[in-house]
Amino acid sequence: MSGSNRLAGLKARPKDTTVEEVRRVDEVGEARGFLDRTPRKKPGRKPSPRTWQLHPKVFPRVGEAIAAEAERLGITQGQLIELLWEKYEASN
Amino acid sequence: MPVIVMASPKGGVGKSTCAVLLASEFARMGVDVTVLDCDPNKSLTRWASHGVPTGVTLKSEIGRSEIVPTIRSADGDGKIVIVDLEGVASQLVSRAISQADLVIVPMQPTALDAEIGSEALALVREEEEALGRSIRHAVVLTKTSAAVKSRVQKELEGQLSGAGIDVIEPSLVARAAFSELFAYGGDLTAMMNDPEMVTGGKVDKALINAQAFTEAVYERLK
Repeated sequence: MSGSNRLAGLKARPKDTTVEEVRRVDEVGEARGFLDRTPRKKPGRKPSPRTWQLHPKVFPRVGEAIAAEAERLGITQGQLIELLWEKYEASN
Repeated sequence: MPVIVMASPKGGVGKSTCAVLLASEFARMGVDVTVLDCDPNKSLTRWASHGVPTGVTLKSEIGRSEIVPTIRSADGDGKIVIVDLEGVASQLVSRAISQADLVIVPMQPTALDAEIGSEALALVREEEEALGRSIRHAVVLTKTSAAVKSRVQKELEGQLSGAGIDVIEPSLVARAAFSELFAYGGDLTAMMNDPEMVTGGKVDKALINAQAFTEAVYERLK
């Protein structure tokens, strides 16, 4: 074999890849034991990297305000404390 | 350009070896080859980690939901797509077959390989029926003896031909150089020209075998 000229003549045949066709192919495969063997993902939430726990006692109004603000921002109280800490560090 | 799919629900029959040989030989002929490694064992990814021949691009970690769009995006003018599948009966296999211009079913000349490999052949035929179009397919016997054709091999070839199944000639002979490609990467030509690559076999004979095999595959793509 020599050169790419011969290969330039090679063509792929057109193939439909509609959802319907893929479904038919899946059905034919399943009937012959060719099943979906995609590994199942582990169920449940992924573990959080936030494993360090604080136990500060604060006045109820402060605790309530922190909880309300975290809820308003759609983040956890831990994430809010991290933001506060960032600002505190930046201010010093 | 054509999509070539290596399929057999049995592992260890030579799917990845066929894929590497075809990819490197077609690339040597000057065509861009995209190889899709769909095998969780990542044989082709390991081969490519040592270096791929010029003109070969590897895509790996392709699952059932990505296989059809990945083949479609890799297919294009001036490109050959080679898909190496996992050695199990899965929907990934059936979906890849539906996109093939040629399905190659590698088979060692043993009764067990023939029995399990025939499942892939039956699946191709059923997909042809379901899709209303033909999907060209052929068997290649692998890891055959260089010296003599065994009685089992002769019988198997006779049975396959008798059943109207296309058998690619030549078969792929058991050559140390074929398996060592996965240790060194690259292709047989590079292996032959690099004195630092030590192989336990005859690389020149392996190269002649690979070239003749690629030529036989090319004839089926025309």
